[in-house]
Amino acid sequence: MPMTQEEVFAKVKEVLTTALAVDDDEVTSQAKLSEDLGAESIDYLDIQFQLEKSFSIKIPKGELTPENLFTNPEYVQNGRMTPKGLAELKTRMPFADLTGFEADPDINKFRDVFTVDTLVKYVMTKVNT
Amino acid sequence: MKFVLVDQLVSLEPGKRIVMAKNVSMAEEYLADHFPGFPVLPGVMMLEAAIQAAAWLVRVESNFAHSLVVLKEARGVRYGTFVAPGNTLVITAEAVEIAAGRSDFKIKGAVNGNNAIQARIELAHVNLAATDPAMQPIDRNVITALKERWQTILQHSPVTLPA
Amino acid sequence: MVNDHSALIMRWIWIDKFEKFEVNVAAVAVKNVSLAEDHLHDHFPGFPVMPASLMIEGMAQTSGILVGAARNFKEKVILAKIGKATFSRLVRPGEQIVYSAKIVNVNETGAAIEGTISVRTTVGGQPTEISVGTVDMMFSHIDNNMSGMKFPDFNFVFNSQFMELFETYRRELNVQLPTT
Repeated sequence: MPMTQEEVFAKVKEVLTTALAVDDDEVTSQAKLSEDLGAESIDYLDIQFQLEKSFSIKIPKGELTPENLFTNPEYVQNGRMTPKGLAELKTRMPFADLTGFEADPDINKFRDVFTVDTLVKYVMTKVNT
Repeated sequence: MKFVLVDQLVSLEPGKRIVMAKNVSMAEEYLADHFPGFPVLPGVMMLEAAIQAAAWLVRVESNFAHSLVVLKEARGVRYGTFVAPGNTLVITAEAVEIAAGRSDFKIKGAVNGNNAIQARIELAHVNLAATDPAMQPIDRNVITALKERWQTILQHSPVTLPA
Repeated sequence: MVNDHSALIMRWIWIDKFEKFEVNVAAVAVKNVSLAEDHLHDHFPGFPVMPASLMIEGMAQTSGILVGAARNFKEKVILAKIGKATFSRLVRPGEQIVYSAKIVNVNETGAAIEGTISVRTTVGGQPTEISVGTVDMMFSHIDNNMSGMKFPDFNFVFNSQFMELFETYRRELNVQLPTT
C-alpha cells in the first residue's frame, strides 16, 4: 500500500518513541538510533518487530541489518571495512546513506549508519513496491 | 533481610539524585537457581534495587510522609552486562519529578563502569489511611520501621547527610 | 551443582502452576501469595505487599518458558528488555496472581511478549478476578546473539531438573489416595 515519506516518518516516529522511551521531539530525521536515541542491541529487534506490525511488512533476516559481513576477512581487516566490504555493504543496504561510514569505515562505528532516516527509507522500499 | 536490595548509600543530593550500592554474594540463596552453574543477579532484582534507591530519595525528601512507595510504571528497561557474585551494582537514580503522590526517575545501574540496567520508573506514594482511616496506625508502624531501616543503612555508609 | 537433583528449582520460582499452555501461542500461570514468604515481611514491615518487581519476574517466567518451548528449549532465553510494565493495584497475601502471556513475535534472535496480570481475590466475601497490570517484555536468545558477553556453553536456563519440573507444572493430576 503506497505511502508518502511524511506518512512513513510519522509512523516510524511512533515506533521509536515507544521502543526507545524517548520524547517525540528527540526523534529527528538525522538522529542516530544508538548514539542519539540510546538504542541497544535488543532495541533493534524491538524496532524490527514493531515496524513489521505497524506497516504490515515482513523484515527477513539480514535485510535491514546485514549479516555475515563483519566476520568475513575479505570485508573487514584490522577493525576496518575493506573497499570490497564497502561495495558489498552498498548492495545489501541500498536504502542507507553510507557516506559517513565510507569516510571512516571503523566497524565499531557501524551503528551510526542507522539513523531515523535510514529506517524511513527502508520502510519506503517495502511499502511502495 | 530477604528483600532489602540496597546495601549502602554512596551519595544523595536531596530531591535530585541518589547513588546506592548493592553487593552481590554467593550467599544470596536465589543465585543457586539463577542460574545453576552460572550465578547472576536476576534482572528484576536490579530493577528492584533501583526502585528502592529512588524510594529512599522520595522518603528522605518527603520526610517519610508515606508508608508505601511502590512501582507504578517501568518503561524502557534494558539490560546490559551480567552481574556476578563478588561484584557491586551501583545504582544512580535521577529524579525527573517528585510530587506529593508520585515521582518519576531515570535510573542506571553499572558494574565496574559497565552498563547493567537502564530504565525510566514512576513510583506511587501511598498511605493506607487515604483508603481507610482505620489504617493510620499501620501506616505509622510501616513508617517507623522504614525510618529505622534507613538509619541502619546510613550507619555503615561513608556519607554525611546535610542536616 | 548442575546435576545435583537435591538443588531443585525452588528458590527462584515465582509461578506455582500453569493453567493453560499453548505452544508458540499463549500461556496462563498462577502464583499464590502467602504470608509464609520471607520477602513479604520486608516489603513492607507491618503491611506485606507483593513487590511489583517479583510480579514482573512471574510474567518473565511464564513467558520465558512459553518462548523456550516455541523453539524446543534449544537456546538460552534471557530477559533483555521490559518495554513497559504498569501496575494499578496492590496485591496482598491470600490472593492468587494470574499471569497471562502471549507471544507477539519470535525469531532466531529473540522474542516479544505481551502480558496481563490479574488477581483472584474476594470482594465483599465474593470471589472475583481484578486487573492488576500489564507487562510487555522481550527475550534474547543469547546463543544466537552474543553481544560480546561471556557465558557458559551448557543451557543454564533450561537444564534437566527444570525440564522435569516443567512437566509437573503442566499436567492436570487428580491423585486420589487409596481407601483403607
